[in-house]
Amino acid sequence: MTPRASSHPGEHVDIAITGRGVVSSIAEGPDAFFDALLDRRSGIVDGGAPCSEFDPTSAMTAKAARRSDRYTQLALCAAAQATAEAGLPDGVDVERLAVLVGTGVGGLKTLEDECRAFIDGGVRAVSPLFVPMMMPNAAAGMIAMDLGAHGPGFSVSSACATGSHAIGEAKRMIERGEADVVVAGGTEAAMTPLCMAAFERMGALSRKGVSRPFDANRDGFVMGEGAGVLVLERGDLARERGATIYGYVVGYGASNDAFHMTQPDETGRGATKAMTAALSDAGVEPSEVGYINAHGTSTPFNDKIETRAIHNVFNGGSPPVSSTKSAIGHLLGAAGAVEAVAVLCALARGILPPTLNFEEPDPECDLDYVPDGPREAPGLTLAMSNSFGFGGQNACLAFKKA
Amino acid sequence: MAITENDVLEEIRDQLESIKVPGAREATPDNTWAELDVDSLDLVELVKALEDKFGVTISDDDLKPIESVGAAIDLTMRLADSTEGSPA
Repeated sequence: MTPRASSHPGEHVDIAITGRGVVSSIAEGPDAFFDALLDRRSGIVDGGAPCSEFDPTSAMTAKAARRSDRYTQLALCAAAQATAEAGLPDGVDVERLAVLVGTGVGGLKTLEDECRAFIDGGVRAVSPLFVPMMMPNAAAGMIAMDLGAHGPGFSVSSACATGSHAIGEAKRMIERGEADVVVAGGTEAAMTPLCMAAFERMGALSRKGVSRPFDANRDGFVMGEGAGVLVLERGDLARERGATIYGYVVGYGASNDAFHMTQPDETGRGATKAMTAALSDAGVEPSEVGYINAHGTSTPFNDKIETRAIHNVFNGGSPPVSSTKSAIGHLLGAAGAVEAVAVLCALARGILPPTLNFEEPDPECDLDYVPDGPREAPGLTLAMSNSFGFGGQNACLAFKKA
Repeated sequence: MAITENDVLEEIRDQLESIKVPGAREATPDNTWAELDVDSLDLVELVKALEDKFGVTISDDDLKPIESVGAAIDLTMRLADSTEGSPA
């Protein structure tokens, strides 16, 4: 097709969301996923939230599925939903179609299996598929191949903030004029024996196997798996081709705690900065924000310090806050992207998803966490989503109703 | 006992099936790798399966000109014959 004129750095472009995809333990597909959140459905079984019903061959051939780690399979499925919703690649310039899908840890099951094979059987026992399955950019590469996307493509990685960083960097990529459309998100399949053992040894997992963000009795996170993918598109081009717009990503802020590899800065400095930067990028005041989808991991530290950071930004005027992780656990690198879908659905429908398992208030977590069930929010036009990763890397996104 | 063409063909079909090649059981000696959508990574797995099954060693140089099921059968049989004929 005829190449389009690119946007120029500095020129204001609005970034529309024209496709959404989710694979999670409670549902596949954005609307089914949001319905499940509103139904207070929990995907947590025996202290984990696996995607038990997931069938990779719904989105890829059996041969391609065999050659992909589960983290890539989950991403392919979420991307297939998002790109089908957006009608890609029809009507867009594939030279300016980018893929930016990240993962916190990559093909961990493949790594574990192949280590075992190597130790037991030596070099000949190692699969030639090991590298292309394990590498953290495999999902982005497979999605690009599926779409025939020839714009930029890579993976970002910032542990539990990956999904939000990917969407934020995709926004920047369009603003810089490097792409018109970006398939962006995060994916994770880290519920392997080794990884579960590692998080347990850190003391990060809930011993009770319950995700109860912001509750006084929270004792750690519950591991989940899944993927979230969005299609971000230059607003003018999306409107020109008549694409359905599900919302806009209007703000992105990122920061480092520069404090500790696994503990958040006590003062909430990094989280505060990410939120402030997202608001500034969006050109809005805190008072305009009607909902925050929290990082809300259910660890003692995160929830207390995230609350503190929200206070820092909103200065007593915080909007309602809820945690999707109460229903689907912590999806690590996929979390921010899946939660972005929840935010977009909340904006579109004017209803806030609840925080499950919130029973006993913690004096240090004193915000409105939407504990009683979904809440009507008819005037909701602007919402934020927080993601904070190990390594002290933070990302915050701001979304606007379509 | 000497291996037959059919032994090798069946092993190739088994391996193609295990790597989820569509129509693996109907593969014939005439089929090329391109027709079967078998790439270099698939061939690494196929070679290992043939080596394990028939006690041969297939080098990268041996494999280079092999572009079809039939050529792989011929190569495997030739290598198996020479292995049998050589002193232990």
